[in-house]
Amino acid sequence: MLKAENITKTYNGRKVLNEVSLEIRSEIKALIGVNGSGKSTFLKIVAGIVVPDKGRVLFSDGDVTEKPPEQRNFGYVPQHPALFQHLTVEDNIRYGLRNGRGSEESFRKAVELLDLKEELKKKPRELSGGYQSRTSLARALVSQPRVILLDEPLSGMDVALKDKILPEFRIALKAADVPVLFVTHDAGEAEIVADSFAVIKDGVVRELDNSEEAFKFMSTSN
Amino acid sequence: MNKTIISSFFLPLFFLFIIFPVVALWINLDWAGIQATFNDWYFWDAVKNTIIASGLAGLLSLVVSIGFGFFYLFHRDSVIYRIANLFNDLPIALPHTVAGLALLLAFGRKNFGFLGQTGVAFTFFSLVLAMFFVSYSLAARTLVSGVDQMEKEVIDVARTLGDNSAQAYFRVVLPMMGEALVSGFVLSFSRSVSEFAAVIMFGGNLPGKTQVLASYVFTQVEVGELKMAVTAACFCVLLSLLILSLLGFRRPKYAKG
Repeated sequence: MLKAENITKTYNGRKVLNEVSLEIRSEIKALIGVNGSGKSTFLKIVAGIVVPDKGRVLFSDGDVTEKPPEQRNFGYVPQHPALFQHLTVEDNIRYGLRNGRGSEESFRKAVELLDLKEELKKKPRELSGGYQSRTSLARALVSQPRVILLDEPLSGMDVALKDKILPEFRIALKAADVPVLFVTHDAGEAEIVADSFAVIKDGVVRELDNSEEAFKFMSTSN
Repeated sequence: MNKTIISSFFLPLFFLFIIFPVVALWINLDWAGIQATFNDWYFWDAVKNTIIASGLAGLLSLVVSIGFGFFYLFHRDSVIYRIANLFNDLPIALPHTVAGLALLLAFGRKNFGFLGQTGVAFTFFSLVLAMFFVSYSLAARTLVSGVDQMEKEVIDVARTLGDNSAQAYFRVVLPMMGEALVSGFVLSFSRSVSEFAAVIMFGGNLPGKTQVLASYVFTQVEVGELKMAVTAACFCVLLSLLILSLLGFRRPKYAKG
């Protein structure tokens, strides 16, 4: 189980996160918030990319707050696919294997789940937006992470394509069977992918029963 | 301000003070001068010294810039970065005679005399060091500008996949910065080719040994061989244009307005 306790982060005098706590079991939890609400900062703190001013990140009751990202084995799928342009799609997906993360089996499974077999020899720039996002997720999945963190991985994609890819993402994420944090500003997107929901607003997180409640909470409180 | 007004001051000033001096060199080029220069072995030694020393200075600049880029990216709060950053632009503002003198005092007879009567000074290696000293910052700035333009999330992803900062730098950042690395090398190389003051202070002007194209031209003017000086100067212009054209074709083009 992943647990974030009392995470606080201030940027230029503005408290972006105020004592935020969140628990994620082996489920897909959507963290929904408008732009600038601090959801990406929270995710980056969990990943170890950003250091919190206060609070702890725990995994299986072990404190990982002080650990750098390379020692956490948390998969990260950023907003833009952030593919390594000098490598082929296959080498991108296999990247974690260089550091002893994942296996041939996890590679084969991710490629199959995300329908990337025909794209392996291509360079990332030759891929469509949808396949770039798939590659980005596959790269994280292959390394068999203990947690998967997704920061609006389909932002900028048109609705029709999102509707096609999101269910595929859900299947791939469920197959990983680890805690997943899916950050988004779109409650509809969250509805398709997530099992449970939380909303972040004014630096505070509130857990809700479904995406509809999350959407209402976001719109009424704005 | 429209295009006509901009052209009315840009074109005359540019052609008079930039293009015309170069044209003046070519107008004064003649066959006798070309023959005399091309038959002079010291000229070819100067060409060889210029190209090899500049190439080595460019490579050295690149290696040190890669180190600077790492600190810029991952350790900007460190004392090492702050000191390096402070000294980085010094060679640009410093008179290059001062740079040459500084190198002479640092690596000359007083400190490195055990290597020979003059230390490292007045050897081929001194040319490389002098050129490196004045051109390194160009390579460093180019690399850092490339780092600034890259998508930082690729580094974050590499680290979550198990790379430490150094591994992410060498496996992801540098391979994705091919253009900045080439530009850094070419800029440093071309700055080195044009260097005169620091080279002559630290390396001297020994024909066949430490003479470079810049000092060869100077020497020919000094001894009254103007035609040979013009030929060598035109050769320098061609060499510079060749180097800069390598850079030019990589620059992005903007829409006409």
